[in-house]
Amino acid sequence: MEFQSCFDIIGPIMVGPSSSHTAGVVSIGKFIHELLGDYPKEVKIVFYDSFAETYQGHGTDKALLGGLLGMDTDDSRIKNSLEWAKENGMQYEIEFESCCEYFDHPNTTIVTAKRGDCVVKVGGASLGGGLSKIFMIDDDMVAIRLSAGDDFSALASSYHPRKKVMDKAI
Amino acid sequence: MMEIQTMKELNEACQREEKSIGEIMLMMEAEKSGRDQQAIISMMEERLIKMKEAVDNGIKDATTAPSGISGGDAVKMNDYVQQGKSLSGSYISNAMSFSLATSESNARMGVIVATPTAGAAGILPGVLFSLHKNDGTPYKDLVMGLFTASMLGLVIANRSFISGAAGGCQAEVGSATAMAAGTIVELKGGTPLQAVNATAIAMKSLLGLVCDPVAGLVEVPCIKRNVIGTSIAFSAADMSLAGIESRIPCDEVIEAMYKVGNDMPRTLRETALGGLAMTETGKRVKERLFCRKS
Ligand code: SF4
Repeated sequence: MEFQSCFDIIGPIMVGPSSSHTAGVVSIGKFIHELLGDYPKEVKIVFYDSFAETYQGHGTDKALLGGLLGMDTDDSRIKNSLEWAKENGMQYEIEFESCCEYFDHPNTTIVTAKRGDCVVKVGGASLGGGLSKIFMIDDDMVAIRLSAGDDFSALASSYHPRKKVMDKAI
Repeated sequence: MMEIQTMKELNEACQREEKSIGEIMLMMEAEKSGRDQQAIISMMEERLIKMKEAVDNGIKDATTAPSGISGGDAVKMNDYVQQGKSLSGSYISNAMSFSLATSESNARMGVIVATPTAGAAGILPGVLFSLHKNDGTPYKDLVMGLFTASMLGLVIANRSFISGAAGGCQAEVGSATAMAAGTIVELKGGTPLQAVNATAIAMKSLLGLVCDPVAGLVEVPCIKRNVIGTSIAFSAADMSLAGIESRIPCDEVIEAMYKVGNDMPRTLRETALGGLAMTETGKRVKERLFCRKS
């Protein structure tokens, strides 16, 4: 059962317009922010399927960048996160694909984020109603459920992308 | 630990524990989260307050959304209702105004509460604040109503879907309307079984509804579907409170919704590649906004 709590249904408190294409994506971005311990300097984003078709209308790009910058789902700065990204010197590019081979869901993104020596590649799917799932970190398949009220830094702390990358580098 | 997967189990749990649907939800949440009930109620209150703020902001805001294709209709509707012109009666008329206000706020990237999604965020606040306005249902009861709604929504979400991308608009506006119908019944003193019946009746009326947002924006037809959702919720609740039952049990309706959603082509599931999104006007809007032909 993916949906566990009454607040998975009533909530999140969020800026519009879409819980799956906006709020759930903020959470995916925020998780990556916590993985890196800060916002990334360089980001490559792949939007799949429904995300690829409708990201502009739903502000999916703004939502993801907002999350990567550390914003929560109800942060009214999300509206202007493209400008915030610029101001923080965050470089990003977005690509579009029809289907994601790693995870079968229409609302899927894979984000490669870099800050200093650390690189993480994270796959996330937004399941609806603001609930999301991280299904991949680097090349490992995982299943981390993200609900807007969760403590993302605690969820991210069991993964050590920085350390892993550093070890590989050495 | 109590696990409820179907409406049948929910109804049985209500009988066994002699509790309402909302109280069962609250009990389960406390068990699962380890928080005490008062803390959980406070969290839900916070959501009700945010919903109220979205209604209050939206109802007086005549500006258009950034897209230019929505906005200003809540003000129009509210004026019309206040002049005493509306045909629908005050419960439905007020709910229509309030849901317009919320959904228009959502389109402006304002703060709203997803119930269960942002696309369908207008329906529950619409009916709840209409109940409050028309018969003085106190806010603490509205908060309990949100627990009723979330319990019904949890069953639907876990057995079927609640997002347009996964199952079409039947899953989004359909689920929200079904939750609202059951919630009205419980708030008006109906039994859990009556609430579940209202849920089934409402969901049946929206079965098959496709997700076809113009230009992929949660505005057209989404906002007006929220408005109509409130009137279906009230009609379904009225039928159930009159003693009318759904011939197809709620769990089977939910299963049917799931199957219909799976059979829906990708073009009709929030990709904006079919339905109203692909009408002449729909395509023109998309081209104007994104300079991207498809
Ligand atoms: S048409 Fe699609 S985007 Fe609009 S409310 Fe329905 S499910 Fe949501």
